[in-house]
Amino acid sequence: MARPPPAVRVEGLVKRYFAPGWPRRETFRLEADFTVHGPQTVGLLGANGSGKTTLFELLTGSNLPTAGRVRVDGLDIHRVRYGERDRLAIHYHQSYQVRHFRRTTPSFLLARAARDRPLVHLFDEPQFSIADGYIGFMLAFFRRLRSEGRVVFVCVHPNEPFHLEILREACERFLFVRSGRIVEFADFGALVADDAVRAYLGALAPAAPGRPPAAGVS
Amino acid sequence: MALFEAVRLHKRFGQRVVLEDITLAFEAGTTTGLMGPNGAGKTTCFNVLTGHFAPTRGRVLLDGRDVTGLAPQTIARLGVARSFQTISLFDTETAQDNVVVALPRIRARVADAWRDLARDTAAQDEAAALLGRVGLRGRERTRARDLSYGERRALEIALALAGDPRVLFLDEPTSGLGADGTARLADLVAELKRRYTIVMIEHDMRFLFRLADVVHVIHWGQVIASGTPDALRGDPWVARSQLGAG
Repeated sequence: MARPPPAVRVEGLVKRYFAPGWPRRETFRLEADFTVHGPQTVGLLGANGSGKTTLFELLTGSNLPTAGRVRVDGLDIHRVRYGERDRLAIHYHQSYQVRHFRRTTPSFLLARAARDRPLVHLFDEPQFSIADGYIGFMLAFFRRLRSEGRVVFVCVHPNEPFHLEILREACERFLFVRSGRIVEFADFGALVADDAVRAYLGALAPAAPGRPPAAGVS
Repeated sequence: MALFEAVRLHKRFGQRVVLEDITLAFEAGTTTGLMGPNGAGKTTCFNVLTGHFAPTRGRVLLDGRDVTGLAPQTIARLGVARSFQTISLFDTETAQDNVVVALPRIRARVADAWRDLARDTAAQDEAAALLGRVGLRGRERTRARDLSYGERRALEIALALAGDPRVLFLDEPTSGLGADGTARLADLVAELKRRYTIVMIEHDMRFLFRLADVVHVIHWGQVIASGTPDALRGDPWVARSQLGAG
């Protein structure tokens, strides 16, 4: 039997934005190359404006890459009918986060999604609040999706200690967006041991063996 | 078979995912709570169930009959009543006349003037009985605008009961109520749940956990958790929340 395709294959993906005018001046650049082979919960971290939401838009096919390709369940997401792309990868965002993109190819020329339930679920900065009591239900939902064979991406920009607790509890693997590139970490320990990640987390960085605690943590 | 069911409901507003694959079953005689953060899709879910929005995909079944896409009035006539987040009463009329005009056989006589209703003693008696059921005995002759906020909410529930519904939907019944009003409403719902099948949206977890037999947590347009109040309360993050602390 043929091996199933990886759940998500991001190959040579590049997105560039330019300021209007000539000569063209690049204002944003994101490069990504990674694979998610099967069911997994992936944490995505990065500063505001680093390109986390852009990456999600590229993975769900709403935003077009400058170069490269995104395959979900073996299908090039940008070659799937617009209305069926969320059968492959679904982006949950707040209404203010929804951006609209031009659609250039008539839908009938594009492929069918071939799935009914989305394989990839992308949660874009969910509003986590200790006070309302919903965090446990949200984490249980991520676990359920994963146990059903889906891929879960959770994008968080940690600014509270419990955000790190959530990432540690929920995610098996991490992607960190920095300076237009994506750095991968195999687990939470590797993530929080990285100097660039620790600098990004600032005072939230957990104390590591052999390191003094970050400034500002008592 | 459940009395009322939602089967794989999807709703999109443009590209925005509002409901994604919602399946729910409401058993006759039970009280079900739907809770979730703001913008999670609770009210849209209500609107699809009660016919105010058509789903993008999926079906709504009442007693096994497909009622998807039927007009809200039709669904209401089939026995699905709802109250709204915002109050909609005839302010200058009495509490009792508000209920009288909500009675189905009165609603059918749209051309009648209000003063003729005073002579329909059977309708007046029926309305008075409904007011008693929602705790408004003695307030029959008070104009709606002179009722307290909590009494207005109770009156709204009486209007929903006027059609003798098979399923009663309450949309955020505690909204705008203080602690006393919420406590009185909880007593009222506890009384109503003995007689009606109730589905309520509520963000007040404490209220819901006291009254519901089953609670579904809705977020991202989906049912992310379901269970009895006791089971849900056992979640460690619930214990760390305001609810657990209180």
